[in-house]
Amino acid sequence: MGLTNLLATPLTGIDISVGDHVQRKIFGLTINVEIVWATIIAAIIVIGLGLVLRKKATAGVPGKFQLLWELAVGAVQKQVDDTIGPRGAKVVPLALTLFIFIFTCNLFEVLSIGSKLEWLPAPTSDINLPLAMALFVIVLVHRAAIKNRGLGGYFKHYYARPFPPKLFPVNLFMNTVEEIVRPVTLTLRLFGNLFAGGLMLSLLASLVIWKLGSVPIGGILSVPFTVVWKLFDMAIGAIQAFIFALLTILYFDTAMAPDHEHQESGDYIDA
Amino acid sequence: MAADASMVSAVKIAGAMVGAGLALGGGAVGASIGDGLAGSQTIAGVARNPEAQGRLTTIMFLTVGLCEAAYFINLVFAALFVFSLGK
Repeated sequence: MGLTNLLATPLTGIDISVGDHVQRKIFGLTINVEIVWATIIAAIIVIGLGLVLRKKATAGVPGKFQLLWELAVGAVQKQVDDTIGPRGAKVVPLALTLFIFIFTCNLFEVLSIGSKLEWLPAPTSDINLPLAMALFVIVLVHRAAIKNRGLGGYFKHYYARPFPPKLFPVNLFMNTVEEIVRPVTLTLRLFGNLFAGGLMLSLLASLVIWKLGSVPIGGILSVPFTVVWKLFDMAIGAIQAFIFALLTILYFDTAMAPDHEHQESGDYIDA
Repeated sequence: MAADASMVSAVKIAGAMVGAGLALGGGAVGASIGDGLAGSQTIAGVARNPEAQGRLTTIMFLTVGLCEAAYFINLVFAALFVFSLGK
């Protein structure tokens, strides 16, 4: 490889492409096969953990396994109690399941090596799973809002908040934008983090090849880089799972809040 | 005037690189300012009320996660520019 060729390599020569999946056509739908398999395996793990817990659960002295679950349930329950109050008891199972499932999915990132096609990529690093989960949450939130305020109250809410009804076009515009932005950011936040995690692995690998490819055993250096990045990435995965569950709770809070209380509880995070 | 094929691809790559650079640079500026604000306020809070450290740390990580998320969304778009649209 000539010198000029080597210099141009990092810009155009790195053979990284994004969004490659093993695809099948089923009834006109394109299925990303390995993503679906990884999702199914993650679901089996989560359901299995639940079933094992049901078998082992005891009212007496809890074991380590039960303690772990109680910790997670307790944390979510406390969060819901602090945010929504006793009205939100129904949200706890949803938020907990989302947290555990997303966390399990994110842990799949540990198995990936940054190649074009992974055996078991993190299912959340493909946009379809985060989008499906975000839409699921948003539909439930709207349902809760309609249940809470009635159909008339639900639509009135778009006009009458946060400014006085005289300014209803502004209210309508702001509320509509908010409702559209919610599922989009919920999706892109989770997808972006996990996708960037996988992309970083590819970039680390190509960085090592670019600079150290000519050194005899320089390629080994990609191992410590990858390990350090993956440790960081696992923390990111946990935080993102937590944020997804927390935002779910906060969205339910805005949907379930009575009207007069809404002005006070306006300090929810909305990014 | 028919454009040279290699010229077209060069312009494409250049545009993709500049776009990705702008997205990454701007995103990094915003995210780091946000992270810094969250961290500084947490330190101020802990200095005022050391008992609150546990709770504040949780909230700080949450905020940092939200700020970083904006950056990672930019990173996805940068990857889209460089690895998909630029080719």
